[in-house]
Amino acid sequence: MCPVLVADGVRKTYGDTVALDDVSLTISEGEVLALVGPNGAGKTTLLRSLTGTVTPDDGMIQVLGEDPASVRRDRLGVLPQAFSPPDRLTARELLHYYAGLYDDARDPDALLDSIGVADSGSTRYEHLSGGQQRRVCLGSALVNDPRVLLLDEPTTGIDPAGRRTVREQIASLADGGATILVTTHDMDEAERIADRVALLADGRIRATGTPSSLIDEHGGPPRVIVEVEDEVSSDDRAHVDSAATAIRERGFDCTTTGDGRVVVTDVRPEAIESIVAGLSAVDVSYEGLEWRRPELEDAYLEIAGEHVSADAVLSPDSARPADGRGGDGS
Amino acid sequence: MSRIGRLRSEFGVAWRSFLRRRTAVFFTFLFPTILVVIFGALVRTDPGSGGLFAESPAYYVPGYLAVVVLFTPLSRMSSEVARHREGNRFEKLATTPLRRWEWLAAHVAVNVAIVSLATALILGLVVALTGAPLGDLWTLPLFVVPGIVAFCGVGTILGRVTDSRDGAVAASNTIGLPLLFLSNTFVTPSQLPGWFQPIVNLSPLTYFARGARDAMYGGGHPWIDLGVLVAFAVVAFVVGAVAIPETD
Repeated sequence: MCPVLVADGVRKTYGDTVALDDVSLTISEGEVLALVGPNGAGKTTLLRSLTGTVTPDDGMIQVLGEDPASVRRDRLGVLPQAFSPPDRLTARELLHYYAGLYDDARDPDALLDSIGVADSGSTRYEHLSGGQQRRVCLGSALVNDPRVLLLDEPTTGIDPAGRRTVREQIASLADGGATILVTTHDMDEAERIADRVALLADGRIRATGTPSSLIDEHGGPPRVIVEVEDEVSSDDRAHVDSAATAIRERGFDCTTTGDGRVVVTDVRPEAIESIVAGLSAVDVSYEGLEWRRPELEDAYLEIAGEHVSADAVLSPDSARPADGRGGDGS
Repeated sequence: MSRIGRLRSEFGVAWRSFLRRRTAVFFTFLFPTILVVIFGALVRTDPGSGGLFAESPAYYVPGYLAVVVLFTPLSRMSSEVARHREGNRFEKLATTPLRRWEWLAAHVAVNVAIVSLATALILGLVVALTGAPLGDLWTLPLFVVPGIVAFCGVGTILGRVTDSRDGAVAASNTIGLPLLFLSNTFVTPSQLPGWFQPIVNLSPLTYFARGARDAMYGGGHPWIDLGVLVAFAVVAFVVGAVAIPETD
């Protein structure tokens, strides 16, 4: 497939701050690429370089084979970060407004329906919920049916239903041949949305690849997290140490954290039973036990040179035993 | 067709946004009304006294109009640009076919509409409260329109150089108030020190007030003033359009 978005050796500085450093990236027609990184990684600067609103100090950018400043604007759809349109207009008026800036635009009323705010079309933007507002903003980027779509954190502040709408819109546009770049610091979102992910840190692309290839290569082994206690007193600390010792005695590598958790690394699902047995043998009760396969976040932290902490790997919706004291490991 | 469509779309959104800010609408028309009532009806003119308001009522008509020609575009554009910057709207617009000068032109058109309504209100109040004649009224748009263009450009520049809406409004007031009273509007040049005259001549509002007065009531060289005003308007429009940022 032919490249639609190309960045080659792009460098951009703001004073002493290096926002982008030798960034090279190619996105092919119909591809969805998620540009992932923490705040300040350089995601927005790269996106702005691709839209032509920021001029790099060095390097080359091409969009649809042209310099970004020369590309026909009706072929681009852009959602800037923290974008807020005129708030005294209704959702319908806003989409009509942005549609009116193009010679050939989608029907705003049909677009309202497809982004899931048809029922609120007559509501002023200022009175819409945060999620509805973000959907209208997304609609403003879709109104010209763009060939290239650049979305800067499109799901920030949006509810789960809204996230699903965004994902569906992106998938639908990609199926139609649009090339899409999405920036996000939400690794889970990137994994769901993108064909490929580029990991950006400190202005440099650290790795690119499909989410699964990055996880396989950099995510590390699966692990088990045992949550021994919620509140850790000096007495409880002894339980944590006992649990760790018992797990080590069964041949596993593990570390303890300051908040009552034991992180056991390189654990296959079939080995969980052995860990549970070890905890039962020393009569340690625990509140949660989660087996967790590596995710994109783990790969990112590994690539970016940061260490995985128990806090980072323990998701808030960790599975817990139904009775809250799963001493028998059930 | 496409450029007209873009201008119409931007004009429509700017006009609706203005109308739906009810306090903005109210005070846009209340401010000049208060000035006409205070100066025209309460203070009243005292021809021949040698003090302030010593000219005939007609002398001050361009001054009342200068209030809206200056303040409406200056404060509206500076705060509008600041509002657009806060919402990253220019970054969005920079990726659409709308050009920066088209955006500014559409907002100039909105200001022309607003100031035209305010001008009609002022002229009605002036006639009713002071009995001033209106002279050759047909010449008025020739000065009002370039005056609006000029101060839309200046307001846009202020919105660019200030970093917030509060700052933009404060800056427009700081610039606007001295200009309003020192531009041959309410204070005659003879009442100012001689050394101050060059400063009066630097103010674009001088060319609006003096030119409109001379064109409406005769005397002076109104077309020279109009030429200077138009030249200033062109420069301010171009600089204002260039000053519109693409990112923040």
